[in-house]
Amino acid sequence: MRNTPVTAWRKQKITAPHIGKQGRILLWTLIRVPSAFFIDQAPYPVVIAEMEDGTREVGQLVDWKQEDLVKNRIVQMVLRKLHSTDKDDIIHYVIKFRPV
Amino acid sequence: MNISIIGTGMTRFGELWKVSLLDLAHEAMDQALENSELLPKDIDALFVGNMLSGILNNQANLGSLLAEHIGTGIPAFYMEGACASGGIALHNAIQSVLSGQNKTVMVVGVEKMTDHSGDDITAGLMGAGSEAERQAGATFPGIYAFMARAYMEQYGVTEEDLAAISVKNHFHGSFNKKAQFRFTITINDVMKSSKIADPLKLLDCSPITDGAAAIIITSKKVSSKKRISITASEVASDTVGLSGRSTFTSLSAVVKAAKKAYHKAKITPKDIQIAEVHDCFSIAEAIAHEDLGFSSPGQATKDIIEGKRTIGTGNLIVNPSGGLKACGHPVGATGIKQIVELTEQLRGDAGPRQVNNAKIGLAHNVGGSGTIAVIHILQNNL
Repeated sequence: MRNTPVTAWRKQKITAPHIGKQGRILLWTLIRVPSAFFIDQAPYPVVIAEMEDGTREVGQLVDWKQEDLVKNRIVQMVLRKLHSTDKDDIIHYVIKFRPV
Repeated sequence: MNISIIGTGMTRFGELWKVSLLDLAHEAMDQALENSELLPKDIDALFVGNMLSGILNNQANLGSLLAEHIGTGIPAFYMEGACASGGIALHNAIQSVLSGQNKTVMVVGVEKMTDHSGDDITAGLMGAGSEAERQAGATFPGIYAFMARAYMEQYGVTEEDLAAISVKNHFHGSFNKKAQFRFTITINDVMKSSKIADPLKLLDCSPITDGAAAIIITSKKVSSKKRISITASEVASDTVGLSGRSTFTSLSAVVKAAKKAYHKAKITPKDIQIAEVHDCFSIAEAIAHEDLGFSSPGQATKDIIEGKRTIGTGNLIVNPSGGLKACGHPVGATGIKQIVELTEQLRGDAGPRQVNNAKIGLAHNVGGSGTIAVIHILQNNL
């Protein structure tokens, strides 16, 4: 995805409050054929999680094992690098999920 | 509505490396003019449905560019609504005619995809998703995989049940000389195909396709046997992101647009004899059958497996063209191709895939993960 320093700066204010929140996996899939930006990460899981406050969020699952890909698995929001970039690009960080 | 389709045109769908985006659009436009027996000077306006030309082909301003081909300086409009771009272009063309601004209008849908790598196309298509979905690395197969998992869990439907949808559509596509894939497949073929986004496999997914389709509509009185009436054109929208919706097994935009369309056309789902639905993935067609009222919730795959939606054995034939799965899915062209197929069927001109005595047809064109839905109902009143 094409990000600029301005978009990264603007998004950090939205992203930061989510770090550490917990929820449970509602639905999951394993992306085996990704878009151009995520080729070096495939295969990787993407989940829809129901958070403790009742909201539903979509995000990539990191630090996962096969047994984590089940409904109701507890997950936590963490800050991770979005995807690899060229040396001249900014490194963009987003919220992802990890199993707890 | 007093609007008729009087001309249709469609290129072959497929991996067409020898032709450009403009070549495709021009071919479909020329066919529509010839089919309607009109001249370029008879066209009052042009509406273009396309999603990716700005992203993949580096070409914006497609409305004016295609109007050059007609050559009369007519008003030209570019319409984008993800995979529903074609349906949205037609809906807006109809509104322009109903308003009295125009009398005879051409609508063309076009997409040139296969010049580019699959991962670049996947990234381009994700422009129709939410920012959160893009940041998650989700793809459209992945987003529909969520729906498939929810649907299978809710109704006890299996991957083999969903595979029957692709089998039906390939059977229909085998009769369509313009389809991308003209071969039949089995449930075992679907199950053995490579996984794209669990539980969806390659043969659950529509392909990447080049193609164009065009139609001409008019409010003028015409007596030609080629005339097919448009009795409803309705659009509804929903959240761009899937995760915030109250259900993952129904698309509310489809339900809303279909309800309005049936009301406008003064018919019920039982009156539909033929439908072209947006089977971008097998699960999408299952949900479509239920949202459109063709099957009860959770029963769509059962009805398909029993042959109720298949040419030769069914009472309501769905995707006689082969659908997106077998005919192909050049995203901006798909909504117009559905109208071309229904028009040919209602005229009785569909050749070996003709549905007998079809008088009323429905087109269901969906953008994104159900972000926008366009329903058209067509009727042969002759």
